[in-house]
Amino acid sequence: MIEAQDLRAGYGDGADILNGISLTAGRKELVTILGPNGCGKSTLLKTIAGYLKPRSGGVKMHGKDVSTVPIHEKVRHHRVGYVPQTDNVFRSLTVAENLRLGARGLDRATTARRYDALMEQYPVLASKQGRKASALSGGERQILSLARALIAEPEILLLDEPSAGLSPLMLHEVFDAIAGIRDSQGMCIVMVEQNAFEALGVADRAYVLSLGQVAIHAPARDLLADPAMRALYLGGHVA
Amino acid sequence: MVQFIFDTLFRAADLALIAVALSAVYSLIRFPNVALVQYAVVGAFVGMALQQQGVPIVPAVLLASLLVGGIAQVFNAVIFQRLLRLDPAIALIGSLALSMVLSAGFLLGFGPAAQRFSVQVAPATRVFGVRVTEMQVLTGGLTVAILIAFALLLFRTPLGREMRAVSTNPVLAAATGVNTARVTGLVVFLSGVIAALGGAMLALRGSVSIDMGTNMLLPVFAAAILGGLGNAFGAVFGAIVIAAAETLITNLNFGPIVGQDHVFLPASYAPAASFALLVAVLLFRPRGIFVSEVTRV
Ligand SMILES: Nc1ncnc2c1ncn2[C@@H]1O[C@H](COP(=O)(O)OP(=O)(O)O)[C@@H](O)[C@H]1O
Ligand SMILES: [Mg+2]
Repeated sequence: MIEAQDLRAGYGDGADILNGISLTAGRKELVTILGPNGCGKSTLLKTIAGYLKPRSGGVKMHGKDVSTVPIHEKVRHHRVGYVPQTDNVFRSLTVAENLRLGARGLDRATTARRYDALMEQYPVLASKQGRKASALSGGERQILSLARALIAEPEILLLDEPSAGLSPLMLHEVFDAIAGIRDSQGMCIVMVEQNAFEALGVADRAYVLSLGQVAIHAPARDLLADPAMRALYLGGHVA
Repeated sequence: MVQFIFDTLFRAADLALIAVALSAVYSLIRFPNVALVQYAVVGAFVGMALQQQGVPIVPAVLLASLLVGGIAQVFNAVIFQRLLRLDPAIALIGSLALSMVLSAGFLLGFGPAAQRFSVQVAPATRVFGVRVTEMQVLTGGLTVAILIAFALLLFRTPLGREMRAVSTNPVLAAATGVNTARVTGLVVFLSGVIAALGGAMLALRGSVSIDMGTNMLLPVFAAAILGGLGNAFGAVFGAIVIAAAETLITNLNFGPIVGQDHVFLPASYAPAASFALLVAVLLFRPRGIFVSEVTRV
């Protein structure tokens, strides 16, 4: 569903942050991107999403070249959902309004049905529908940002550190939910993560980045099992 | 007292539409476009010119407002977007420069004399002992109606929700499929329309001269900042506060303080009130009178 080929990208006229990254992710697959802070994980996701134009290389979705399609068109025409790492809710809008924005372009009946389903799935949101998102806790905001992307039922979901700021309990809940979506809806999910162990626990494959390049690409299971890998890259948490 | 309330409300009506327009665009493009006060003058002048060409007054005002909306978009695309890429401060200075150029253009195009719409002037009536003209009531009512319409658009429609979304978080708005450039363009257009309507209301109540924009700059700016720049309806509140301060400073008898019977400040001191309030707010509440999280358009 996603094929990124030899991507090079950077900000403004600054140096390349991505130095030729190739990545694939298929239907019903959860791919996680790991690596130390500042190695370019978010930049990679932004380039796939369409916030950044690749300087060279390309991105294909559903077999079509979408390298230069801006994010708002990808969302509309290529069924892509994206949850940024920071500022991932509309703070001055209510929980309900956040979700309605996620459901932009859907008809009323569909919106209402999915809205109710999400409320059932995430009771923390149901009790705060009329509250401003700025009044939510960090964990509740993460859930809201995920729900906002899910209400559109994307086929491709790009998540930038969905576990940031979550308690260990919430973290497992959110990861289970993400794995559940992959299985039930056959979604293609690319998830950047800091909590490497937990991410590898639910992911199918992993890319470990270093200095804007893919240092390791392996099935998640193998990475978890390899003691050398654990010591070198995971060490409990990626620094 | 009744006189004071009426004076304040009419003055607030003068300021409100333009201040709301200023605040609304600020919420999306992050710099206060002070040229909006001149867009108001353009709206009034073009409306009057159209009327002189035989267009009835209502379509003349509407047409002029739409035209100014278009002009606002053109200036935004051609000038301000470029300056903004450099720095918001440069864009602000650019908007001041544009104001001066427009002001000079008015002098060439319309001459120095004050102009008015040709409308039948009904004699003033007395309400609660206060002299009120029909036009004051009509334009005051229209101003309130325009503000309500804008509020409904903003808070009760999907489009308004998108506008607020782009204002709070443009990156995320794009991720929900909103074309942020289009929404921003639309708000810029609306700001031009609203400012022009504000100018037309002013012209209908009295007359408009080429320096109206320059004179309005300080109180409008102060009202928008008082309400918390970017908080459109805070600007209405700011307009009322500024209007009350201006009315007060020119109606207060300073006689007792200086040991005389009657000492009133001349009306030309009214801007001093806005200026003093502006400085006070910037010192103590730089983000406006309302606390932290405000609903930004
Ligand atoms: N908006 C930006 N403008 C310029 N440089 C940026 C921007 N965002 C990130 N960078 C730089 O790009 C590099 C990679 O950042 P990022 O992709 O956010 O890393 P990660 O998500 O892996 O922590 C860092 O050196 C960072 O400073
Ligand atoms: Mg990151």
